[in-house]
Amino acid sequence: MNVYAVGIDIGSAFSKGVIIDDRKVLWSSVTPSRGDYKLTGNNLRDELLTRTGLSPKDIGFIVATGSGAKTVGFADAVRTDISCHAKGIYSLFPSVRTIVDIGDLYSKAFRIDENGNLLRFLLSGKCAGGSARVLKVIAKVLQVKIEDLGALSLKSNKRVDFNTNCAVFAESEAVCRIAEGAAKEDLLAGIHRALAAQLNGLAERVGVKKDYAVAGGGAKDEGLVRALEEVTGYPIIVPPEPQLTAALGAAIMAREAVKL
Amino acid sequence: MNEKNSNSMARVERYYQDYGLRARELKEEGKRFIGYFCSFVPVEIINAAGFFPFRLRGDVHEPITKGDTQLETIACPFMRSCFDLSLKGMYDFCEGLVIPHACDSMTRTYSVWRYSLGLPYSHFINIPHGVSEPALEFFKAELNTFRKSLGRYAGRDIPDGDLVEAIELYNKNRKKARALYELRKADPPLISGSEASRVLTVAMSLPVTEANALFDDVLAALRDREVSPLQKAPRIMVDGACIDNIDVFKLIEDSGANVVADNLCIGTRDYWLHVSTEGDPMDALSRRYLDKLNCPRTYRDKVGETYEEDLESRFGTMGALSREFKVDGVILYVYKYCDPFGFEVPARKAYLDSLNIPVLYLEDEYSAGTIGRLRTRIQAFLEMIG
Repeated sequence: MNVYAVGIDIGSAFSKGVIIDDRKVLWSSVTPSRGDYKLTGNNLRDELLTRTGLSPKDIGFIVATGSGAKTVGFADAVRTDISCHAKGIYSLFPSVRTIVDIGDLYSKAFRIDENGNLLRFLLSGKCAGGSARVLKVIAKVLQVKIEDLGALSLKSNKRVDFNTNCAVFAESEAVCRIAEGAAKEDLLAGIHRALAAQLNGLAERVGVKKDYAVAGGGAKDEGLVRALEEVTGYPIIVPPEPQLTAALGAAIMAREAVKL
Repeated sequence: MNEKNSNSMARVERYYQDYGLRARELKEEGKRFIGYFCSFVPVEIINAAGFFPFRLRGDVHEPITKGDTQLETIACPFMRSCFDLSLKGMYDFCEGLVIPHACDSMTRTYSVWRYSLGLPYSHFINIPHGVSEPALEFFKAELNTFRKSLGRYAGRDIPDGDLVEAIELYNKNRKKARALYELRKADPPLISGSEASRVLTVAMSLPVTEANALFDDVLAALRDREVSPLQKAPRIMVDGACIDNIDVFKLIEDSGANVVADNLCIGTRDYWLHVSTEGDPMDALSRRYLDKLNCPRTYRDKVGETYEEDLESRFGTMGALSREFKVDGVILYVYKYCDPFGFEVPARKAYLDSLNIPVLYLEDEYSAGTIGRLRTRIQAFLEMIG
């Protein structure tokens, strides 16, 4: 019986795959996208099959999403990651109405209704300002591993204020502040606060309503999430694996297609 | 489809790809062209003076290079593209240029156009920002100044009879364009938005009599279509300023929608309004171009007590269009640095919200390079309303 459904999310930095049956997630995977999206997609599928001991004919439907969705030749359908995130997060937290996805290339804010339908959405501008890319840039400047940014930022008690929203200018501003003797944690806290303010600005333009959740790779940064809580005044829901919510949503859409 | 009719679509395609082709041919025969842009230039006056008005167009596929040596990037990218093409000699067959006081980018760059191109004839039409009776009186005087100035250049006064004749020709032109819109009311429409836009754009590069003949041929070709080549899909209206490249319509249609109506300059803003043929022609022209033409560059005094009434008086035409063409969603498409539309985005969205029409706001730069970024937004919008 081909009752299994797969979601593949090819992002600009990471690609994700989720395989589900009619009740639960069987396996999921996150891998760097690198240059070849097609190969990345194939590898993800192979990994999902190997890990679950299934064969391609067991899969009822595959939905691809993300900026590289079109390269997934084996997908049965393509959906935007906006719809997929909404679906994925709603399945995990039905109380959520406002979602901010902090991706590598863009950030997105969207509102969903009590049935999980997408009401409004907004993407950050065309540059990397307001996306998680700025965290990568700062991690490099400060020589800190990206996964350590959050914990370090939380140690700050003297936040440096940043004046720019631009990823490129943030780098030069950070370099200036280092030269002035600012501590790493204070710089990070400043970057997190500036990014949080931008993300919340995006959310306010689609209209914030509780509950408020974050998704995407940026949501793994606890310093950023804390800053967002400070800016919004709301507790923020962070999914257990925030990078996977779009792939999960895609898999759920695939499952719905099987059932039809 | 008979041969003549199928030829008409091929002709549209050729004139669209090689914009100005027919004007160059006619120039060889001694015909005279005056370039202009924006919906606020009364083409009837140019026509009555014995010239063919030619609407300048930009090109989203051509990087702006020469133009940026004389204009800063704060100017509207559509206008910068038109200026760039003009500097590159694309519109050399035009011996004159008419620019209206429409938006900031046109007003502030008129002198740059005038001195950089150094054409034998240039004219700036001053247009008031309000629609009160004194404003209409002022505008009529300005149009008379334009009429005299162009008459002087042509070496003859423009008689009222010629003006009336031109008005009738353009009214016919608008009637035919409207017939094209009628074919878009079917579901699925008989003609795609990108096809329609191509015809409407090309028509502004031709002498009005040739444009009218082209409309006739195109309409005949379309009426030959017994079955629409399109699929049923969400019906989209595009709202905004001047879209003279069909790429964005194609993108919307390739994403799985039908563009069935517009509230755009090369669209209903230009083609919907007739000039009254009763009374003084100059009166009729000033009323049509200042009072009737609905563009955010003109300030409309608050009407009614509430914000909702105010919105209805400003954007009612858009609401009427959305009902007439049974649209499922509106894409508000605005270029970066477009001052008239940029300021109005929240009000336009609020108006559409009040009608419960889903709206997607896109800010774009006049460049084919942004298509990928727009695609994601358009697809998500269609998934949302679909």
